[in-house]
Amino acid sequence: MSVADRLRATPRVLFGPRNPVQAGAAAPPRFTTLLLIAAALALAQAAFAHAWMVRGAQPSPITVLIVWTGLRCGATTGGWLGFFGGALEDALGGGGAYVLGSTAVGFLAGLFSSRFFADSVPAVAVAVGAGTIVRNAITYVVLETALGHRGMYHRFAHATAWEVLLNCAIAAVAIVAARWWLARR
Amino acid sequence: MVAINTFWDERKLLVFVALIIAAAGFMLLEIDASRHGRQSVVDVVVGALFTPLESGLARTVNGVRSGVYNVIHSGRFAAENRALTDKTRRLAAANERLKEAAAENRELRRLVAMKSTVAGVPLTADVIGYTPEATSRAITIDRGTGDGVRRDSVVVAGDGLVGHVLSAGPHAATVLLIIDPQSSVPAYLARSRSWGIVAGTWLHVKMKYIDQKAKPEIGDLVVTGRGEIYPGGIPIGRVREIDRKDNALYQTAVLDPAVDFSNLTHVLVYPAP
Repeated sequence: MSVADRLRATPRVLFGPRNPVQAGAAAPPRFTTLLLIAAALALAQAAFAHAWMVRGAQPSPITVLIVWTGLRCGATTGGWLGFFGGALEDALGGGGAYVLGSTAVGFLAGLFSSRFFADSVPAVAVAVGAGTIVRNAITYVVLETALGHRGMYHRFAHATAWEVLLNCAIAAVAIVAARWWLARR
Repeated sequence: MVAINTFWDERKLLVFVALIIAAAGFMLLEIDASRHGRQSVVDVVVGALFTPLESGLARTVNGVRSGVYNVIHSGRFAAENRALTDKTRRLAAANERLKEAAAENRELRRLVAMKSTVAGVPLTADVIGYTPEATSRAITIDRGTGDGVRRDSVVVAGDGLVGHVLSAGPHAATVLLIIDPQSSVPAYLARSRSWGIVAGTWLHVKMKYIDQKAKPEIGDLVVTGRGEIYPGGIPIGRVREIDRKDNALYQTAVLDPAVDFSNLTHVLVYPAP
């Protein structure tokens, strides 16, 4: 069965790829490559994400990567990447606030891997938005309960709303870029 | 139903639990470390690996951002630069005025101090001119007979004796400086009380007719002696050189004047009694 036949046979929950070549964007790289990308993104976030701040929110490309990986590879890979990505963020200054949320989001995104087309821009964008909300909610709980940061609900909620928008935009750009790159190959 | 079976697949559940435990463990490790004000082992290792990269990345990005920002805002920068240049010029001019005022202030303070050392009620006067030719060393002040200035009125500055009035008009007067060769002032060495006559030598003053028994020293202060014109005790200068010959009747000393005659602006005039 060709890729095109397989794609036609797959039920499309939301919008699927426009042509079979686009399905290549859903093919994940190896886990070590994913880890290197996650490390680079964490580094980039730590180095200059503050410059991209919009109304108190910073984009989180690493969240996009974790959600997308979960969608492409499944719960186990998504969970592990979430764990390593969150741990790296914490080690680079997060102080323990991110690892739990990242791990959970990676795993949860992976649970939907068999239901979404991982190269569909709207599908991945919605998943990234939901993943951002879940991750920030868990981070908020950790900050409130374990780290004792009080009275930051409104600010956090406002920043999360903007972060959702930013992350969705990053996800869309990343998928389009991946499609373009794969089409050139 | 297939999805539910997949979700509750035992292996997947095990992975989920393991991941959550690992994440929670790591989180607690990090929180514990931060509560104790230190870094966890992972932080240290990651920091050692990432800090140079982070630093280089931040420098690069900041450089690029700065360059882009400069290019984008070059027009505004040029306008700001012009405005700042103008401001700098204005401030420099204001600074010069303030410096001048400060110098004037210092000089006036010295004048006030001098006023208390000389008996009499002085007039303040501004120096409005120097002799146009180098035939004599004199200045013109803006006080004249209308203000009570007369011939032989004594003129002093903040640092010492300037000279005496040679001629006075209604609104101005000419003052012969003590460095003029025509000037002669009775004076004495403040330390040894040895008398002499101070005469001008164009640039300095010379104290003549010092008794051979006197032992003037370099740096000795010379002040006016009370005479027909000058009151006593006004500083004239300090001994710079001493000319002493054994077979001569008197000694001579070259003095550095106490007053800088090239920068006179304000003086005090003591009308002649």
